[in-house]
Amino acid sequence: MSFDFDLILDSIPKMLMGIGLTFQLLFLSLLLGTALAIILLIMRISGRWYLSWPTMVYIYIFRGTPILVQIFIIYYGFPQLEFIREGIFWPILKEPFGCAIVALTLNTGAYVSEIFRGGVIGVDRGLKEAGAALGLSATHRFIYITAPIAIRLCLPAYSNDVISLQKSTALASTITLLDMTGIARTIVAETYAPYEVFISLMCIYLILTWVIQRSFGWLEKRMSRHIREEV
Amino acid sequence: MDAIDGWWDEFFWGSVVVVELFFVALILTVLFGLIGSAAKLSKNRVANAIASGYTIVFRGTPEILVLLLFYFGSAIALTSIAQIFDPEIKFVDFPPFWAGSFAIALIIGSYATETFRGAFLGVDPGQVEAARALGLSNLQTFIYVRIPAMWRLALPPFGNHMLSLIKDTALVAIIGLEETLFVAEKAIAYSAKPFTMYILVGVIYLGFSTVITLSVMVLEKYANKHLEVAG
Repeated sequence: MSFDFDLILDSIPKMLMGIGLTFQLLFLSLLLGTALAIILLIMRISGRWYLSWPTMVYIYIFRGTPILVQIFIIYYGFPQLEFIREGIFWPILKEPFGCAIVALTLNTGAYVSEIFRGGVIGVDRGLKEAGAALGLSATHRFIYITAPIAIRLCLPAYSNDVISLQKSTALASTITLLDMTGIARTIVAETYAPYEVFISLMCIYLILTWVIQRSFGWLEKRMSRHIREEV
Repeated sequence: MDAIDGWWDEFFWGSVVVVELFFVALILTVLFGLIGSAAKLSKNRVANAIASGYTIVFRGTPEILVLLLFYFGSAIALTSIAQIFDPEIKFVDFPPFWAGSFAIALIIGSYATETFRGAFLGVDPGQVEAARALGLSNLQTFIYVRIPAMWRLALPPFGNHMLSLIKDTALVAIIGLEETLFVAEKAIAYSAKPFTMYILVGVIYLGFSTVITLSVMVLEKYANKHLEVAG
């Protein structure tokens, strides 16, 4: 058992060929998932039971089951159903890439909407009351008062969720996609050198995690600069 | 639903494997979390550095990679050890159950390290000083004062770690452990009803998550009993 450095130098460029796919999975499902989370949040805090109840059930289901099972239901399970095969979403759902995006979006949407809700709850009541006293409508209060403060409050938790989403993209390799993990698994199947290949891939993921953490750290600092100046 | 007939016992035993995996990994997680947090809080620089490296690596890389590395890596290590004694041996398989529980426990343990560290820091220093003044040894202080005060603080985030843990057990099907997801794959090969089978797996996991959530609620009530107002 020895460490084969030539193999590492050989396989890193191969694995990096999949970084584009990893990024596509990450950014597309982050964008769609955040949009979904905002819709879920608005439904959840609307105060109407017929909107908030379905949201709670949705969040309960998607946070209570493994993402791998969700991916398998969408990729392997959906083609069993006639109405899906004849439905308008079939062009998306018949491709593994589309399935991965749908699964990651639905999953991350559930988590992120709970994070956003935590932020909204954290906004001082007095500020909302002040807004109401100034005659702002509920929509205006949400956009100009609640949202900017809530975003600052939930940024740290949101950055953690972006990191878990980045880790979840590796599961796309289980439905035949050749992202970085998918390529690594192919290389290991050929060379049978798991240490070299998987450890170098872990280093690549660590760098990505570090970049995400740093970017959000910078963003947090920037968004709370009005607080720091007083100190 | 007819497709599931004849598979109920298989799914039941698959669920038993999930529960076994959960409890073995849970014990290891607590162990790794305690060791990790002790190392992070100690004044020893080497211990600090090792613990920081541990949390950075296992929180920043995809779970599936850690699992694959453990499974294939340990098989290679075992094989080369076995070949020292008997060069005839071609391949020694490491049991997926143990590779899986160690990998999952190391991952969740890295999150538990941070949780326990915060909880230990949250213990009132006055209580520890009082224990010292009473003449309790370091070990006694740890067991009778620090741990009881700390687990109340750690319980809510640790409940979330347990939920991640149960969901991560699904990944072990990838390395061939016969848990529910693996049973579903077998059943699908037989009946070609992927949607039904994977939904059943989802329902089983939802049940587990619900049980954990309720248990944590009961435990939290028990932990904070002394804080309740009488009457």
